[in-house]
Amino acid sequence: MRLFKTVHDFDYSWHTVSAAQWQKYPNPDCPHVQHVDVLDSSVDPETGVLRIERLISVNQKAPALILRAIGASSTQYVREVAIIDPKTKTMTLSSKNLTLSNILSCEESITYTQHPTIPEKTLFSHMIEDWSVQRFQQNALLGREAFSKVLERFVVLAEAKEEAATNASK
Amino acid sequence: MSSSIGTECTDLKQKYDTCFNKWYSEKFLKGDTTPECEDLFKDYKACVMVALKEKQIDTLLADARKESPFPPPSSSSNSEA
Repeated sequence: MRLFKTVHDFDYSWHTVSAAQWQKYPNPDCPHVQHVDVLDSSVDPETGVLRIERLISVNQKAPALILRAIGASSTQYVREVAIIDPKTKTMTLSSKNLTLSNILSCEESITYTQHPTIPEKTLFSHMIEDWSVQRFQQNALLGREAFSKVLERFVVLAEAKEEAATNASK
Repeated sequence: MSSSIGTECTDLKQKYDTCFNKWYSEKFLKGDTTPECEDLFKDYKACVMVALKEKQIDTLLADARKESPFPPPSSSSNSEA
């Protein structure tokens, strides 16, 4: 598992930063993002918190051989849920890959909060958790170790059989 | 403005996006949570769901929602904003 975390502050108000989230794409710096679609949008009547679920279509540039080997197409999908609380001035975006989830799990979490002492600034926190093939690697390793033991036993048994056969023919 | 996964939905999407962006900055952030873009969202969402089904992403989505509700939507969800 790989964990990556970074914090930063922006010289913009939380209002501006949060509103800008909806206008990030298309972006020439992010040509891999092909489409962004809103799947659900609702305000909790009790808390006044807005929840938005989005689907992001990403063009994955990987060698064709690898794509074929893992049975993937060059377009991958990411599901993102954003929770926006205008009272506490907190916005959290959580995203996870929708496709290839049987091979890897990549979860990303971004939080924007108003700076505690400077209201014109916004704090940004970014975390990525990447479970790339780890489970597969672990299982593969276990499988390999287990099979090595089987092989060892097999070789010992085969040698013993051969020796017995040689002795018997003497 | 970004395009939609369903080419035929992009127009509907952009109409909804325009409404949403205005509502978000001028109403929601200022304390008024009354939904405004419901009708536009309904049309746009219906179109997207067809595209998702065609690309067979609808089942992936259903599974992902079950596995990670990510604070589940409120009971009054669906086309509120």
